[in-house]
Amino acid sequence: MKQRWWIGYGAVALTVPGLALTVPPVAGQSALGDYSLRVTSPEDGPVQPDEGLTLREAIELANGTLTPEQLSEAEQAFAQPLPTGQGSRIGFDLPTGQTTIALVDLLPEIVAPELVIDGTTQAGYDVSAGLDPKFPPAPVVSLTVAEGSEVARGLTIAADGVTVRGLSLYGFRTSDRATQTTPPADIFISALAPPVDSSPLSPALELFRLEDAEAAPRGVIVEQNWLGLPPNGEFPAVPSAFGVSVFNAVETTIRNNRIQNHDGSAIITGFRADGLQVSENAIIGNGLAGMPDAIRLEGAIASSAITDNLICANDGSGIYFFKTEGAAQISGNAIQYNGRRFERAAVYLMGNDHQLSDNFIGYQPGPGVAVTAYPLSLRNQIRGNRYAGLDGLSIDLNTQGNTGVQDFQKGDGPNPPRNSYHRRRETGNAAINSPEFDAYGFVTGAAEVTLTGTADPGTEVDLYRVAEEGFPYSPLSEPLGTVTASPEGTFSASLALPPGTRVSAIASDPEWGTSEPAPVAAVQAADGSLPELPVTPVELPNCAAPVPPPEPVEPPPPLEPLVLTVPRNIHFALDRSDISPESAEILDQIAEVMLEYPFLTVELHGHTDPRASAAYNLALSERRSLAARNYLVRQGVPPERMRIVPFGETQRRSQGSGRVEYARDRRVEFVFTDLRGLEITFQDQEADLQLE
Amino acid sequence: MRRNQRQLYRGLLFLLALVLSYFLSHVGPPSTVAQAQGRVFVNQATAQFDGPDGPVEVTSNETRVGETIVPLSIVKTADRAAAEPGDVVVYRLLVTNPSSRVAAPLTITDQLPRGLIYVPNSVQTTPLQPTQQVITDSSLTLTFPSLEPGASVSIAYGVLITPDAVRGDGRNVAQASAPGFTPVSAPFQLTIRPGIVSDCGTILGRVFVDKNFDGQQQPGEPGVPNAVIFMDDGNRILTDPDGLFSLANVLPGYRVGTLDLYSLPGYTLAPNLYRIEDNSASRFVRLSPGGLGRMNFAVTPTFGEEQS
Repeated sequence: MKQRWWIGYGAVALTVPGLALTVPPVAGQSALGDYSLRVTSPEDGPVQPDEGLTLREAIELANGTLTPEQLSEAEQAFAQPLPTGQGSRIGFDLPTGQTTIALVDLLPEIVAPELVIDGTTQAGYDVSAGLDPKFPPAPVVSLTVAEGSEVARGLTIAADGVTVRGLSLYGFRTSDRATQTTPPADIFISALAPPVDSSPLSPALELFRLEDAEAAPRGVIVEQNWLGLPPNGEFPAVPSAFGVSVFNAVETTIRNNRIQNHDGSAIITGFRADGLQVSENAIIGNGLAGMPDAIRLEGAIASSAITDNLICANDGSGIYFFKTEGAAQISGNAIQYNGRRFERAAVYLMGNDHQLSDNFIGYQPGPGVAVTAYPLSLRNQIRGNRYAGLDGLSIDLNTQGNTGVQDFQKGDGPNPPRNSYHRRRETGNAAINSPEFDAYGFVTGAAEVTLTGTADPGTEVDLYRVAEEGFPYSPLSEPLGTVTASPEGTFSASLALPPGTRVSAIASDPEWGTSEPAPVAAVQAADGSLPELPVTPVELPNCAAPVPPPEPVEPPPPLEPLVLTVPRNIHFALDRSDISPESAEILDQIAEVMLEYPFLTVELHGHTDPRASAAYNLALSERRSLAARNYLVRQGVPPERMRIVPFGETQRRSQGSGRVEYARDRRVEFVFTDLRGLEITFQDQEADLQLE
Repeated sequence: MRRNQRQLYRGLLFLLALVLSYFLSHVGPPSTVAQAQGRVFVNQATAQFDGPDGPVEVTSNETRVGETIVPLSIVKTADRAAAEPGDVVVYRLLVTNPSSRVAAPLTITDQLPRGLIYVPNSVQTTPLQPTQQVITDSSLTLTFPSLEPGASVSIAYGVLITPDAVRGDGRNVAQASAPGFTPVSAPFQLTIRPGIVSDCGTILGRVFVDKNFDGQQQPGEPGVPNAVIFMDDGNRILTDPDGLFSLANVLPGYRVGTLDLYSLPGYTLAPNLYRIEDNSASRFVRLSPGGLGRMNFAVTPTFGEEQS
């Protein structure tokens, strides 16, 4: 029994001096021989001398826990020594058609510094297939879990400068067991990763050394991978739990990856992730059944940057800061169609000095950017972004120390003007006042219209065009220019705007941050009338990969009312949320229609029968719509076109209290919307009714 | 048709009989009961007997029937509405005679509830002085010679709350009576708090994101706001913005609390890699009387919510 059980914390503390002596220095590069390794066998299992070099053997060779002499002659040929000091390289030379490495157990933790695991070396990797850096070419080598096995982590990285390139990783998760598990991930980056669970079979528990920043791996690079989906791009049979878990690492770079279909977040930080760089990734459809936010930031994240990513169709926020330390820069991202399951802000900010600039934030069932009131968050500069299709303010500063459930998800709506200095101490961005126009309508002059208003003295007022209907607040569509408020707190801007234009404004102050938007004002024609401007066409929900350049010209879709025989509901058994085979057939029909008509979007309304408590039923109805949604996602329906709306027992289908009525109540309804504004006819069905 | 008419006649006759009988009963001369109203019957009993010194006559007090006697009024107050064992409560009684008759003698009794005892020599009365004062542990009786019409007497006394009072109801009734007057009473309800003899305990704890899976909150492990904890008695507790909670007045004994995971979407209980017991979904506290218990919940980001 190698297991060491430490009772309590005091025992751990006592063991520290002895342990520090026994831990070998991880960073000692000279201790390791460097090899150029070629993985030729997709098999996995115990290390043994045989025909081909497995990935497990290659990592152990690089780690120095295995010497070439312990392997066969054939395997030694695949391990060529390199001059020491530059790090080992693992390439792939797998036989054609056998490029899937199915793991049966955790791979050893990577402790070899500067190791490069390069999936692009496999024959058949098409570099030219990547049209957009966010959508790297499909990897050839994929790393997944063997059927019947359970592996919590794909690659566990604990050394400096490790690079993982051009791999597909998916299927890493744990199942229910006696105790909970530490969060699994495709790629887990930490010095000394924690054991998966606390079962007696787990390896002996080492200290995490979380406080020691020097021990954290530095400069790990994860690039050009597909995380959470196989090379064919389908929804995997077993989805991964989390994408990249930057648990305790500094200056990690995650770039040009496609991160999709995770139960939890695509990228989640743990204790320390200072200097994290997330750039040009496509983060789509994550958070399906767990932590719903696409990028969840916790712990220390000083000087992080999230730039030029596509964050689309995730279940919660695009980026959620939860009690982080340090400032991050977020720029150039497209954050759209998130909040599929939770009505959260597209970006939820906690902390000071964050910079949000040049992002597109849109189509969110919540505000664009929310800034929390607690812990008090100051000096967040949110400028130059474009917003569209929000269910809330473009920028929402929580006020009055609001810390309710909704305040940590959706914000609290427009704030009243600051009436006391103390508001600054209980409002996000120190209660900087939103600008106010002097009138709701400004009559245009010969060439220009002069917009006047009030704002906090000395602030920079960014004027925005507002494209959408809605009064008095509407998403800020396009920046028009910046003026500075006078010391008396007034501003004035002359702009050439056509009559009918609607404008709003935000104020920014380097000392406090950026304000909420001003109520919308309109530019009137010289006669005082307000002409209608042509409306922009509705954009279809889309986060698909870019299509190849020679795009076939599609004929415009026929603008005639759709007459579809779509079933609109499926039923469930008592207290169950799993999809019965009968319901699956109906869902297949719905998926077929959804795939045929890309302009259809659907809301999944979950319902229960009236028995049990309201809270329980709300959760049950959410599980039901979640089950239906996840089934449709597996059928290929893009997640950005579906939203989950749980209703609990509030909207029954029937009135009675018999078994049949209750069976009718237990359902998920599909509320289709045709984005072209046309009508659809639906069909109720009871083929899958399940009586108790 | 003819039959219907006959029925109508019968109905009319019956109504007429009712109306006549009413008038006849109210038209006659006033009755003797009514004549007696307004008169006062003074009744006094006299007893005679032949004693050794000749006939002796003993006269009782007068009783008056028919007189509208304005009753005495009694008001009872105390210097506090709630008290704990060890406190002294000062009660005040104000007895007024609003009638036109002298109340003599005036007897005032005060009955204390369980666990309250009089403070010796604490009775103060103004302006009259009692002729007789009987104090037992749980009752006080004061007798005044007379209370003139329109006069008042104020009585103050101290009462000590003993630990026994926790088991009583704290309801204290004072009564004033005098011959010829209807007795009047005034209750006072005192809320007895257990105070220093309370055996309720306090449970406090926190919900936080555990980064090193040891079940303890260290720097860098933030608290989770608005998490819900359910207690075994159905109490629902919400954590504050720092993830802390505290629950006062918990009955001692074995108490169980559990985290409502639905209140913190995206998180589940963290595994505890050091203590296998803390991997339980609930926390079990043996709360001693007046003691302090702790329920910490470590959570970690979750996945696979569809499994449950």
